[in-house]
Amino acid sequence: MTIQPIHARYPFRETARQAVGEAGVDLAALVAEDAAVVERGVERVVWALEDGTVGDAHDVDRIELLSYPVARVLVSQVDEHILTRRYAEAEAATAYERFTADFADTTELKSANAQQLSLSDLLAEFDLSGVIRSADGSLASGASETSPERRSGGGIGDGSAVVSDGQSREFRVEVGTYLDLASDQRGDEWGLVNRALADGEVVVDGEELLVLLRQAVRHRVEDGLPLNVPAAIESELEAEAADLRERLSELDLTRDIDTVVPELFPPCMKSLLDRVQKGEHLEHHSRFAIASFLTSIGMTTDEIVDIFQVNPGFGEEATRYQVDHIRGATSPTDYSPPSCATMQSYGDCVNKDDICEDVIDESHPLNYYEHRLDQEDEDDLTDWREQRGDDDAEADSEA
Amino acid sequence: MQEQTRAYLRGRFGDHYRRTEFTPPPEANEREWGYVPWTDSPGETMVRHRSLLDMGSLEDFLAREKPKHVYFSAGRYDDPGASSMGAKTWRSSDLVFDLDADHLPSVTLGEDSYAEMLAKCKDALKRLLDFLDDDFGFDDLTVVFSGGRGYHVHVRDETVQQLESDSRREIVDYVRGIGLDPELVETTEMRGGVTARVLETEGGWGRRVHEHLLTFVDDLLAMDDDEAKARLQEMDGIGEGRANTIYGALENNAEALEAGNIELGGVGLRTLLDAFVSEVVEQQNAPIDEPVTTDVNRLIRLPGSLHGGSALQVQRIDRADLDAFDPLVDAVPETFVGHEINVDVTDPGPVELKGDSFNLQAGEVSVPEYLGAFLMARGRAEKAPE
Ligand code: SF4
Repeated sequence: MTIQPIHARYPFRETARQAVGEAGVDLAALVAEDAAVVERGVERVVWALEDGTVGDAHDVDRIELLSYPVARVLVSQVDEHILTRRYAEAEAATAYERFTADFADTTELKSANAQQLSLSDLLAEFDLSGVIRSADGSLASGASETSPERRSGGGIGDGSAVVSDGQSREFRVEVGTYLDLASDQRGDEWGLVNRALADGEVVVDGEELLVLLRQAVRHRVEDGLPLNVPAAIESELEAEAADLRERLSELDLTRDIDTVVPELFPPCMKSLLDRVQKGEHLEHHSRFAIASFLTSIGMTTDEIVDIFQVNPGFGEEATRYQVDHIRGATSPTDYSPPSCATMQSYGDCVNKDDICEDVIDESHPLNYYEHRLDQEDEDDLTDWREQRGDDDAEADSEA
Repeated sequence: MQEQTRAYLRGRFGDHYRRTEFTPPPEANEREWGYVPWTDSPGETMVRHRSLLDMGSLEDFLAREKPKHVYFSAGRYDDPGASSMGAKTWRSSDLVFDLDADHLPSVTLGEDSYAEMLAKCKDALKRLLDFLDDDFGFDDLTVVFSGGRGYHVHVRDETVQQLESDSRREIVDYVRGIGLDPELVETTEMRGGVTARVLETEGGWGRRVHEHLLTFVDDLLAMDDDEAKARLQEMDGIGEGRANTIYGALENNAEALEAGNIELGGVGLRTLLDAFVSEVVEQQNAPIDEPVTTDVNRLIRLPGSLHGGSALQVQRIDRADLDAFDPLVDAVPETFVGHEINVDVTDPGPVELKGDSFNLQAGEVSVPEYLGAFLMARGRAEKAPE
C-alpha cells in the first residue's frame, strides 16, 4: 500500500497505520533525519495547545501522515495528562471538521473521489456498524470506499450522509455505545434521561452523530498514550519536548482549576460545606455533590477530610472511603460533580443568585466557580490550603 | 443475640447449605467473594477479597463456614483474590440494581408492616423492569428477592459489561427521572414549511409523558363539557380562559395529539405538559439505590444463600412467577419447614410468615422452626432450651 492522501487526512485510521508500517519507516531514523516531519509533528501538538485543532495539513502527504506518530511520541514524552487530553481532543476536532466536510459534499465528483471518507467507512473503522443505524434503514447497505455500491447513491456514503432535503436524518445508537461516546458532553440535552430511548437504542440526529464520532476519534487517539518512548528517540526529541513543557507551563493548563477559595464557591456548595462542617448528616447525593466538587477543583482526600472537619475516628474513615471512591481510587473511573439540573432535582440547589441565573445559566456549579475565579485578581486570592498552614499540604497537593 | 442462639442458627444454616444445590453466577471464579461470619462482636465484620480458588468449591465452603451473609462481586477481575481493587485488575461488571424499602418514598418506616413494605418494593421493581425491558431492551436479567427488604436485578447483557461508573450513573438518573428537563422531552419538526413543537413520542420519558397526555385526554373527553373544563382548571396556572382553549384544541385535534403535536394547544397546553412531566416522573420512576448501581466493584448477596438478618432465602425469581411471588411465603427455606422449636420471645407482636399470621407473646413458646429462625435472626427472640 502506498501512502495516499486519505491516509494523511485521517492518520488515526487502521489503514493509515498500515501504510506507515508498509512504508518501512523506522521512527528513530525518521526523527533523527527528517526535520520536516518532526516540525509538522511539533506543530500538531503546539496547535493542539493553542488552537484546539492540529492546524493545516502539510502539502506533502507523506510528511503529514508521518507527523502523526511523531506527535504521539512527543505527547508521550512530555507525559502530562492535560496535554494528552488536549492533543487527543485537537486531533478529534480536526478529524471532525474533515469528515463533516466529506459527508456534506454532495458534488458529483464525490462518489468517484476516493480521498473522501464515507459515514459507513468511519463507522466500520470504530466497529460501530452493528450498533449505529440510520432510522430510515439506509445504513444497512454498508457501502464503503472499496465497494461499488458507493456510486449508486442511497447508501450512507452519499451526500445525504447526515442531512437530507435540509432535514437532519435520524439515527439510532445502541445505548451502551451512546453512553460511552456521549460521556464527555456536558449539556443536559446529552443526558440519557432527556433522550428518546427505546428497545435499547437512543435516537440522535445527524449533527449529534457527528459529535459522537468525534469522541470515538478522541478515544482512538488517546488509546495507548503515553507510549513507551525508546531512549534513542527520546534523546533526539529532547529539545522539542522541553519546548512543549515550557509552553504548557506558560499556558498554565496543568492546574486545571486547582484553586481552593471557599468564599467563591457557588451557593449550593457553600451551603453543603457549611452543613458538613456543622456535623449535619448529609444524604448520599449531597455528600457526593460536595466531595466530587472539591475533588474537581484539585483537593486531595486528606484535604477534603480536613475541610470537612470530621472528627478523627468518628466518620473519618467513612469520609475517606467515600472520597477515595469518588476520586476513582477504588474504581476504574473518575466521578464528575453533578450539574445544576441534577442538583435541583435533588433539592441541593439552594440560595441561587444572579450569577447562577444570568451568567452560568444554571448549567454547572463548576462554571460558577470558574467564573468567580476569573473575575478575581489572581494575586488577591488566598488558597485555603496555604492559609491552613499545614506542612502536609505541599506534599500531597500535586494533582 | 445470645451465644446459644447464634450457635443454633449457624448450625442450621450449615444444614441448609449441605442440602441445597447452588447455581453460582456466571464466571464465578473471576469474581470477588465476601462473607460475614457469625461472631459475638457487636458490629459485623466482612471477610472479603476471596476468590473461589481460595475457598474451594462454593458448596463445601458454605457448608464448612456456615456464614451469616454471603456476597459476590458485580465485577470480574484478573485476580479477584488480590487485596486491593487496583491489584485485582478490573475486567467488566454486571449492571446491578437494588430496590430497598428503606429508600422508597412510598414507604413509611415504622408504620408499614414488613409485608406492606415488600409489596411496595415489588411495585417499584415492576416499574424498574419496565424501563429495563422496554427502554433499555436488556435480555439477560436476573431478578432476586434480597432476603431482606427488597429486590435486586442483575443485568448481564454484553452491552453493559464495560460501562464505566459515570455511564452507570446516567442509567440511574434515567430510571429515577433525575435531571429530566421538560423542554427536552419536546423536539421540533418541520410541518409544511414551519417548525412545530412535538412531543418526543419515539421513546424515553417523552413517550411516557405523551402516553400520560393521551390517557388524560381520553378521560377528559369522556366527561361532559363543564366537568372537563373544571378538571382542567384544577391544574396550576390554568384559568377559565385557558381551560376553554385547551379543551377546544383537544377536542378537535385528537389525531395531531396522537402524533405528538403540541403546537395546537398554545400556552395552556404547555402549562399542562409541564405539570405532567413531574407527575409522570413521580408515578413512574424507580427509586433504586444509586451507589449500588454506580459502583462497579459492588458486592451483592448470593442468590440461594440465606440472609442472616431474616433467615429467609435470597431467591431468584422467574419472570413468569413474579406476579405470584410472595417473599414471606416463597422465600421461607425448606430446611426450616416441618419442625417445631422453642424460643424465648423478647420483642412480641404480630408476624406474618408462610401465609399465617402469628401474634406473639413475650416469653418461651414452641413455634414452627421457620418462624423461630426468622424471629431469632431479626433479634426478636433467643433460642430457648428444648
Ligand atoms: S444554580 Fe447551579 S450553581 Fe447555582 S446554586 Fe443552583 S446548583 Fe449551585
